[in-house]
Amino acid sequence: MNDERLNYGGKIIYMEGIIVDVDDCSISVDLKGRLGFFKAPKRMFICDTEPKIGQEVGWNMSFPEQLGPEVNEKYVSNIEKERRKQEEMRKRLDNKEV
Amino acid sequence: MSITAETAKAHAHDPAVLCCRAEGGITIEPANLEDPAIFDDLVDSGLLNLDGCLTIEEVLGAKLVKTCDSLCPLTADVVEGAKAPSAPAQEEAPAEEEVPAAPAAPAAPAPMTAGGMLKIHIGEGKDINLEIPVGALGGGAAAPAAPAVVAAAEAAAAPAEKAEEKVVRTLTRKHFKITEVKRGPETKIEGTTLYIREGIEAEVIDNQELVKDFHLEIITPDLYHTYSETIMDVQPIATKEGDDDIGTGVTRVLDGVVMMLTGVDEGGVQIGEFGSSEGYLDENIMWGRPGCPDKGEIFIKGNIVVQEKTNMERRGPMAAHTAFDIITQEIREAMKKLDESLVAETQELKQVRRPGKKKVVIVKEIMGQGAMHDNFILPVEPVGVLGARANVDLGNVPVCVSPLEVLDGCIHALTCIGPASKEMSRHYWREPLVLEALHDEEVDLCGVVFVGSPQINAEKFYVSKRVGHTVEMMDADGAFVTTEGFGNNHIDFASHIEQIGMRGVPVVGMSYCAVQGALVVGNKYMQYMVDNNKSESGIENEVLGCNTLCPEDAVRALAMLKTAMAGEDVKAAERKWNPNVKSTNVELIEAVYDRKIALEDNEQSLPMSQKRKEKYD
Repeated sequence: MNDERLNYGGKIIYMEGIIVDVDDCSISVDLKGRLGFFKAPKRMFICDTEPKIGQEVGWNMSFPEQLGPEVNEKYVSNIEKERRKQEEMRKRLDNKEV
Repeated sequence: MSITAETAKAHAHDPAVLCCRAEGGITIEPANLEDPAIFDDLVDSGLLNLDGCLTIEEVLGAKLVKTCDSLCPLTADVVEGAKAPSAPAQEEAPAEEEVPAAPAAPAAPAPMTAGGMLKIHIGEGKDINLEIPVGALGGGAAAPAAPAVVAAAEAAAAPAEKAEEKVVRTLTRKHFKITEVKRGPETKIEGTTLYIREGIEAEVIDNQELVKDFHLEIITPDLYHTYSETIMDVQPIATKEGDDDIGTGVTRVLDGVVMMLTGVDEGGVQIGEFGSSEGYLDENIMWGRPGCPDKGEIFIKGNIVVQEKTNMERRGPMAAHTAFDIITQEIREAMKKLDESLVAETQELKQVRRPGKKKVVIVKEIMGQGAMHDNFILPVEPVGVLGARANVDLGNVPVCVSPLEVLDGCIHALTCIGPASKEMSRHYWREPLVLEALHDEEVDLCGVVFVGSPQINAEKFYVSKRVGHTVEMMDADGAFVTTEGFGNNHIDFASHIEQIGMRGVPVVGMSYCAVQGALVVGNKYMQYMVDNNKSESGIENEVLGCNTLCPEDAVRALAMLKTAMAGEDVKAAERKWNPNVKSTNVELIEAVYDRKIALEDNEQSLPMSQKRKEKYD
């Protein structure tokens, strides 16, 4: 358990948002009040009817807190690899279209 | 909120606390008392102190001597005429051979939602020494410290009548050993070398319009420390002989080599955006899990590139799986031609029915929310694509299969997102619960029911009602309900258990729960739960297959179901996840059945990746 590393973890806030995108495996939500955006797998989303763009959703959350100042090089390298690959593939795609 | 007489009876040994203000002089009734299910939270937050509190059975019918406010614990000084407690106090535990089942309360719903683990209680055996980690109990001071009591009665023993075992059908697996995989002019197997045709990539690409590029890599053990995209699936390479159907006849399988699928879209985005087992293979695979590769195996790893932006659409992953099967199918064709002399080992799996023994059924909930949350059911070839139906297209309704069909690859899993808890195609090929139940001579495994988990609640309840009726008409004495992953599938998981439980059939539920997968909902039938967690901290640790159902879980679940079918109590879970419950149960089972249960390794056995070191452990 890592939640003892949070200083404000007990502060639970009720939040609302709007579904702005739905695909076959995820929903995207804009937080009301210009407070951000998130995308989550459908299986982590509970709904009584089919999710549709424009529907409102609610949930409880807290503030994400930094767990420490250290940078995890592994994640940095994964992100970098991912970015480079996407750039390369994007270039190839653009060339194909030309 | 006051409680009913029935609830009061169920919670007879729980603390008595007033639900609302009561005047001095009244006779205490259930309606004056608060539901004990909520006490743990109140105690944790310091709002309630249960020291010296009498139990519900003690105070019922007694007189309240002075006016008390709501949520006032009833202690001896405010109650007159309290009865004596009927059962001995609970605190005694260690090294007692036969402790009467003290705190009788049969699992209030609230604790179920918190932890998802239960202590069990075994129905046979003698001279058992219990070792109970009293000090390890988390937080709540009032938590009952005496788990898993063994009642000596041999109630779980099989009914006296001697009925013959009946072999319904058999499945023969012929194993062919592969020690080397190479590229060559044609796909063939020579001795123990598998050749894959050069240029087969072009056919994979041409097969599906959505597939834009494809690369094949052969990963030998010396290349395990290679960077890889998120692993979508791990599949056995197997084929049927002649016209044999899945689940019967003869299956040929290659040992020492597995198919492994990874994929991205043209923009370089992973298929299954949320997966994050990417990284070095040897740091991200939990070796030897039923669904994972074993150490030493060669991976035929295909990386498929699908059309831009179809990675999150259902057709993207489907096209990737379908196209990748071109290679597997070509290997299957080569396997069909193999000479019998190359068979390294023959294994016969029997579907045995044991009339007269307790009849059990396994309900496996599979993902059905869409996209890669889907499964192809019953292909023509083991873990193939051709001939199969996607369970989303089938409406996620229950599909009954034989245990041998499961072990013969009747599920081609498109596999969901969380790497640690997803069941890949290979998982079903080596499904531990099916194997354990099939081989257990004390139970009669009648079949396996697959049911999908739809996205929408209304559909979830639609399918779970079908599950209830399916199990009802089987006249089963007990059932297992298992699920992979966690999230909204726990809603139908709970509903399946309720639908089966309300028909009077004891149900053992199995899922990854621990910390992050804590159940979102519970009901009174969820008394018997087994947690598949293996990770040290109880989380989705991004290590492939880490928290999936393993033989050790199957053994625990089976022991728990036998206990439940014998009509004995299983202790309620603690409120917070406590891994010691599992180790205590394993020790109990080992003692009673006199067998050693090998516990699986977890991520701690892998070379420590930097991300894990810093993030989790």
